[in-house]
Amino acid sequence: MFELVQALNDGAEELKRRSPNPISLNAGCELFIAFVTLFPHESDNFAELKKELEQQGRKYAAEALAFRDKIAELALGFIKDDSVILTHSHSRVVLRALLHAHKTKRISVYVTESRPRGLGLRTYEALTAAGIPCTVVLDSAVAYVMDQVDFVLVGSEAVVESGGLVNYVGSNQMAIIAKAANKPFYALAESFKFHRLFPLSQYDLPTHNPNILSFATPPSAEQGSASASAAPAASTKDSGNLGRSSPPAERAMTQEQIARNPGVDYTRWVQRCAQEAHVGILTPEGVSQYLVGMFAG
Amino acid sequence: MAPAATLDVHPPNGPPTAEPSAGQPKSQKTMTKAERRELQEKQRAAKAAKTAVNGVNGKTPGKPKDQAASTGGAAKRAPEAQPKTAAPAAVRAAEKAKAGQASTTTDTMGKNQARGLLIFSHFGLPKPVNAAKGDIHPAIARLALQFSTFKITGANARCIATLTAFKTIIQDYVTPPNHTLSRHLMTYLSPQINHLVAARPMSVTMGNAIRQLKLDISGTDFDLPEQDAKDALCRQIDTYIHERIIIADQVIQETAGNKIKDGDVILTYARSSVVEKVLLEAHASGRKFSAIVVDSRPMLEGKRLVAILSEAGIQCTYLLLPALGSVMSEVSTVFIGAHSIHSNGAVYSRAGTALVAMMAKRHSVPVVVCCETYKFSETIQLDSFTKNELAPLGDLFSSFPNNKPRESLTLENQPNLEILNPLYDLTPPTCVTAVVTEVGVIPPNSISSIPVALGRLL
Repeated sequence: MFELVQALNDGAEELKRRSPNPISLNAGCELFIAFVTLFPHESDNFAELKKELEQQGRKYAAEALAFRDKIAELALGFIKDDSVILTHSHSRVVLRALLHAHKTKRISVYVTESRPRGLGLRTYEALTAAGIPCTVVLDSAVAYVMDQVDFVLVGSEAVVESGGLVNYVGSNQMAIIAKAANKPFYALAESFKFHRLFPLSQYDLPTHNPNILSFATPPSAEQGSASASAAPAASTKDSGNLGRSSPPAERAMTQEQIARNPGVDYTRWVQRCAQEAHVGILTPEGVSQYLVGMFAG
Repeated sequence: MAPAATLDVHPPNGPPTAEPSAGQPKSQKTMTKAERRELQEKQRAAKAAKTAVNGVNGKTPGKPKDQAASTGGAAKRAPEAQPKTAAPAAVRAAEKAKAGQASTTTDTMGKNQARGLLIFSHFGLPKPVNAAKGDIHPAIARLALQFSTFKITGANARCIATLTAFKTIIQDYVTPPNHTLSRHLMTYLSPQINHLVAARPMSVTMGNAIRQLKLDISGTDFDLPEQDAKDALCRQIDTYIHERIIIADQVIQETAGNKIKDGDVILTYARSSVVEKVLLEAHASGRKFSAIVVDSRPMLEGKRLVAILSEAGIQCTYLLLPALGSVMSEVSTVFIGAHSIHSNGAVYSRAGTALVAMMAKRHSVPVVVCCETYKFSETIQLDSFTKNELAPLGDLFSSFPNNKPRESLTLENQPNLEILNPLYDLTPPTCVTAVVTEVGVIPPNSISSIPVALGRLL
């Protein structure tokens, strides 16, 4: 039994090493290992136990796929007819919720472009294909659009023990702006994304490495990094302002510059309104209580 | 009733020794009880008489009449305890306690007046140990002295010391005939606990530990032989200390240590045993960080912490609370310990902690509280005024400046001046980022769910 847990831990470690963004993966692995250790095994031989565990694992995996439908159903209560929704990047669970709401209610959606991967465009395509009025906005235009929307709906990479949210970069500023504009901010997350992690700050996330936000050596030394500034806001503004003085091509960040940017950010619970998981709708405080109960129990 | 009991205790064949004062025994015979008591008080005040009483209560068997007079008072003070505890061990304990009590009563009289502003009169004062009620075990008498003089401070240290003393008591305890241990032991322990509380208000940790002990005692099997039952109780106490404090600290060390990154500047306030261990452990595991120890009068406990940390090779800075603002912007994480933590997430800790936490919040520096789950209190506290203690009076801990005589520095006896030194303050949950416990890192607003999640008493 101990060896099995060891093997599982090793496997999780290996997966983590291979994946560029291990947070959600981590959450899943951790949940399964916790499940295995806490699993009440009355079967006397290991083969039976193994079979049982495997069966339970598959059952959970199958159920997990159905969670999104359940969340979509729960989210319906938040979406009023004729609402304008702002969402961020691409999230399958948000997409499912929006499509589900579209069946019964008239909604229109603003989606952020979410540079550098531009996943917001994917959401745009999916939504317009379904006939939902949709507009792509710049990441830097979130504050501009905020007064127009009724609420913000985002997916999540992981939900952490503080009740906070780890999501595609940009979610934090969105939450701060929503808070400032007194707009509700909802996050959708399946309960397997609940993670036993307590980041104290942005830089306390497991995805953080010293390379992120490091200052590039001056251009004379490096071959061609155009600007020394690496903060995302500065870089995007860069392309807007300097665009006029140097007409020809639109400036874009180099791969190298993009690599210096974080993939995800951490939204503290104070900025958020509610959390929906397939277990129900939870407040951020509720999340941490649920998590404590799940792992300590 | 009382004379009969004392005649049982003392060997009746003891030869009558010389009387301390010639006229006393005859007059005592004719006196009323109240008069005798009064006389006894006078005796205590006078040094010679005090030693005489001491001698009678202690080893030398005095004249039977004199005994009747002097122990009569004690018997009245503990009317039912005296005849019941006829067993030799308990009597020995009682006698020792009385001897100790007699020597301490006189010098406490002078200092015992309540000081401090009237509105703060409900704050627990560090009281000198005064007359004990009932028979107090010597271990408890000693512990009470150590508490009241602040020789043992800190929630963990006090809890461990108390439980260790209780172990001694339980081993020395003999169940009287026609009683069961599970029913009687607690009635025997209660006066001991009261004696400790009289010396210094009980800490939350002690309260939780004692509650657990009571539960263990009442759950003791009736049919168990007495020695086995006592051993089992001692084992349970050991387990409690081990699991809830020692192992918990180790887990906290590891969890909190992971929050320290290379190049971090860690700020801490005063001295917490847990934070000290966290920093030492993080240093031992090779993390490169520096520490800022913020301290404040009157206790200046941080000095000790600085000494320990710098001894271990951690780069340290020491400063007093007023200078906090100038360093806060450089700090990466604030680590603080706790005396207790309340259901609403408020942290009850050494006075000044709240200031540090609020300053950190203002500068967006994460504040991490290191706290074992046995420090959780199910009460809610909203301010540090309703419940607090006063720090020991005077300049006991200060030695600055050295070149002046100490008398010129103390402000104690000035007529229009009262010195107020609250010992604790309350950090609101909004100023705390995370609480590191042995069950994990939790946000302060979820504290109340922990006992439920653990499914047990605090």
